[in-house]
Amino acid sequence: MTIQAELTRMFELSQMPFMQRALMGGILTGLMGGLMGSFTILRQLSFFSDALGHSALLGISIGLLLGFDPSWVLLPFAVLFALGVTYFLERTRLWTDALLNIVYSSSLAVGIILLSFRDEYQGGIGHLLFGDILAVRTADLMFSGVLLLVCAGFIGLTLRSQILLTLNEPMAIARGVSVSAQRTTFIVLLSLMVGISIKAIGVLLISAFVVIPACAARLLSRKFSHYILISAGLGALSAVIGMTVSAFFDLPSGPSIVTVQLSIFLLVILAPKTQALVP
Amino acid sequence: MSDSVLVVDGLTVYRENHLAVQNVSFAVPAGTDAALVGPNGAGKSTLIQAVLGILPRQSGEVVVLGHSLSPKGDLPVAVRQHIAYLPQNFLFDRRIPITVSELVGLGWDRVGLQLPWVGRRARHHAVRQALAQVDAWHLREQLVSGLSGGETKRVLLAYCLVRPRRLLILDEAPAGLDARSESDFYQLLYQLKKEQGWAILQISHDLDMVRRSCDRVLCLNRTLRCQGVPGHALTPENLSLAYGSEFVRYHHSC
Repeated sequence: MTIQAELTRMFELSQMPFMQRALMGGILTGLMGGLMGSFTILRQLSFFSDALGHSALLGISIGLLLGFDPSWVLLPFAVLFALGVTYFLERTRLWTDALLNIVYSSSLAVGIILLSFRDEYQGGIGHLLFGDILAVRTADLMFSGVLLLVCAGFIGLTLRSQILLTLNEPMAIARGVSVSAQRTTFIVLLSLMVGISIKAIGVLLISAFVVIPACAARLLSRKFSHYILISAGLGALSAVIGMTVSAFFDLPSGPSIVTVQLSIFLLVILAPKTQALVP
Repeated sequence: MSDSVLVVDGLTVYRENHLAVQNVSFAVPAGTDAALVGPNGAGKSTLIQAVLGILPRQSGEVVVLGHSLSPKGDLPVAVRQHIAYLPQNFLFDRRIPITVSELVGLGWDRVGLQLPWVGRRARHHAVRQALAQVDAWHLREQLVSGLSGGETKRVLLAYCLVRPRRLLILDEAPAGLDARSESDFYQLLYQLKKEQGWAILQISHDLDMVRRSCDRVLCLNRTLRCQGVPGHALTPENLSLAYGSEFVRYHHSC
């Protein structure tokens, strides 16, 4: 009887427009995260995506302080921040992970200080850190949809150049791949993806969407082309299961999706057949 | 010089403030196999990478199939399509999932915007032929990370061969091949040169092979110390200029 009541509640919930938008938002973020994540982890940019996520808080707080809608400040901020950090990393001869640590912890610190000037956001910090997928608007969905198409178009149309560049840079240059143009475009798309997803997932968990499905897909794939598709597919699947679990047990949505991603990753690691593929 | 596939004129390259290649000029005509020899650290790989635009050059001109390499190291993609390059060490992250046929297929595709499924049949056909040429068709479904050193070399050679080229640039290509594969490899280079008129520029440490199979030799030790037909150019005097006198005494006493 209780289960039946729960199922009725779930069904009613699934009819709600905000729930449908949340599910759609989760699927779009999952697909985009998996797609961009497949190249992000191979190019060892996982920590970079994490730093981008953390720095988004700085972008939001700057927007609030200047009195703009944070959503409008966040995207240009994310792109400029990503390009600035890339330039900084290329110019400084220190370890990338150490530099990224400096970038993300300091931007988080400055962001929190700026937020402290706005009293009304003291209570809302949880939303910024972990996101609120139920607050996704139709305009957010449309923007995510367009960005997903752009990311898929970019990866699809330059797939061979991207693979070659990931595999061996000198061989890619010898074939005429414009390394800096491809790299910059990728970084810009990755930062837009992180920026657009912050509202739903939050600054702390967004990098999980980029990293975990891609890692699970890597363990499941032999072919590069399959790897990208599996990564995007696992991203979307985790979002659907995660949202369902979150609705059923009344749990926070973003963390539920990430926990599902982790469960899939652990299943893949523990499944005996895929062990052979782990180098 | 007019039918030269590659012309290098006055090339000077610095690597981290250190003069690595100074004022080097040479040409490689079609159907010619030119060997670049010299001791370790002589600037051979640097020279090749500057010719390909991988490393920036200080001065000098590089012309490939009549097109000048821009100061930033760019060439038209259509010209790039005619060049194949095999680096000395194919360093790649072994955790990247890619099969042999996918890698060879990357050599077939033209760089630029392209739908991933376009030309699937033609690519498959070309990959099959190229892998058969290096006797590696049986490896097609294997992960590149699981190949032995010699197998990797053969597969990379297939990556170069998968499309007709005009210029093949090899950085110590046969290193890692066994005696049989090495002999097959030189036989294949000979065929490509004779039958299809490919120009070949290869770095080599095997002076006997250079004497036997190459048409031209370039001795490099930062500057070009000698060039010409191997039989004439590889004199003890020139070798001592390139390698130092100790090397020549040892080489001749063997």
